Amino acid sequence: MRWMLLGPEVYTFLAALGFLGISLAGRPNSGRDHLAALCLSGVGVLLAASALSEDAILFSEVYRVDLFSQVFKLLLSVGLFLIVCICGEVREIREENRSDFFALIFFCTLAMMLLVSGNHLLTLYLSLELSSYSLYVLVSLRRARDMGVEAGIKFFLVGIFASALMLFGMAVLYAMTRTMNLNALNGALHGMMGQPLVLLGVVLTLSGFLFKLACFPFHLWVPDVYQGAANEVTAYLAAVSKLAGMAAILRFVASVGQGGADLVQVLLVFSVASMTLGNLAAITQQDLKRLLGYSTVAHAGYVLIGVLTLSASGYASVVFYALALLVMKFTAFLVVVKVAGNGTNLHINQLAGLHRRSPVLAMALMVSLFSLAGIPPTVGFTGKFLIFVAAMEKGHFALVLIAMANVLISLYYYLLVIKAAYLLEPEGETGPIAVSAPTKVLATALVGAMVLAGFYPYPFMEIAQAAVGVLP
Amino acid sequence: MNSLNVYLTIGAALFSIGLLGVLQRRNLIGMLIAVELMLNGANVNFMAFNRFLAPDPTVGQIITLFVMGLAAAEAAIGLSIILALFRRLHSINIERAQQLRG
Repeated sequence: MRWMLLGPEVYTFLAALGFLGISLAGRPNSGRDHLAALCLSGVGVLLAASALSEDAILFSEVYRVDLFSQVFKLLLSVGLFLIVCICGEVREIREENRSDFFALIFFCTLAMMLLVSGNHLLTLYLSLELSSYSLYVLVSLRRARDMGVEAGIKFFLVGIFASALMLFGMAVLYAMTRTMNLNALNGALHGMMGQPLVLLGVVLTLSGFLFKLACFPFHLWVPDVYQGAANEVTAYLAAVSKLAGMAAILRFVASVGQGGADLVQVLLVFSVASMTLGNLAAITQQDLKRLLGYSTVAHAGYVLIGVLTLSASGYASVVFYALALLVMKFTAFLVVVKVAGNGTNLHINQLAGLHRRSPVLAMALMVSLFSLAGIPPTVGFTGKFLIFVAAMEKGHFALVLIAMANVLISLYYYLLVIKAAYLLEPEGETGPIAVSAPTKVLATALVGAMVLAGFYPYPFMEIAQAAVGVLP
Repeated sequence: MNSLNVYLTIGAALFSIGLLGVLQRRNLIGMLIAVELMLNGANVNFMAFNRFLAPDPTVGQIITLFVMGLAAAEAAIGLSIILALFRRLHSINIERAQQLRG
């Protein structure tokens, strides 16, 4: 059954090509496209699940299929399926662009699947670029063109800048080690991490991953792009594309970072800056998507804490947190998409009286924000707990203390949103929000998953530990 | 001064000029060109390291070819977004794009 090795990738590629063909044929029919995307991504989840146990190194060692990559491919497929579920009516994207929209999110997911399997710096670079290119176009597609194009150009400029820095870093690493293969780099860099040029190469190479993760020096695009992109695209950016960034940074740092005390210091600075900037800037935001954008920046900081431990338990906590972030962020954006029924941006005041207009959505919003803030017994608490424990094991007490203070700050603005949904009275007369039965089921299931995984995280922790077991 | 150093100096100079251009320019086309310079600086480095240092003589050249292809795709996407922006704002100055703020 060797063809299953590349099963999820080939399948996603063919699905994307199919949508490209539909787009070229030029008969727009968004209902048909959505149904096709739903079926294709549903089958994709099954395919990724059945390819979970594959293991091989392919194409002269530039591509690695192992448990780590397969777990992330499954998460990406699930994320894609969830996003497609809420894309029934993407009102902010014009009818004739709907099949392009589906083609681009399938291409982007394909690129991320390649990214989590990359075992060579060139593979990582190419797949990172492919996924970013799809996202630049997706962001610019918004019907309110002023916003979409402005967000797109800002995203594009920061992205190509980060990718140029990354390429230069790769050139430096190539000069120092004469190899680009991650396994060979792991051996060649042993004992060289103290050299300034090596550190420069690693940090510059990291810039591409930090951009993907929306982390400190490359976080400038986040609030504008989250605000300017269509709601569904923002949901995809926040929930799914961060997964691939986490996987790539884990694999890269696990391969090159061993014994890099200076690298840990650099990551520590990025992590603290990212958390603090994200949380402080989020306090003043009035646009809910912008607020969630800054919260993404803060979460990138928490993720870096797990990465900079350079230990198996830290890496496992990041994989667990990736799963938690996917569910939490998606639930929050599900509420955004459904409450802003006509596709416009959602002001926090517009949430007023949500608990009466739609109790299910209000509950989903509350649980997801509590989970993002890290309140027990939700999955967000367990994820943060695991990360902080892993950091304490390595003696980063001050860092954990700063992170705790940041969690408190973040609680403030999450509670502001929950207060708007539960305690504020709407100013005018607003009718109930029409929520279809499948959406209610989906929202309830997500809430159940967040609470259940908070109470009983052991199966997911075991998967995460097994997944990082294959990293060097 | 041996030959490797000459190439590395050219690469670093291209990269620095590009970096300065991105940070200083406010014209979108100018910024795009500056990033292309940065990519080409990295490319010159790859070729030079490959020629003078690396045992395997193809890795650097292949990377350079791939990066040239990527840079072309990047320019196409970038220019199309810039064109869309120009139709709205009648300007390619990034400072004019200030609608998104919170």
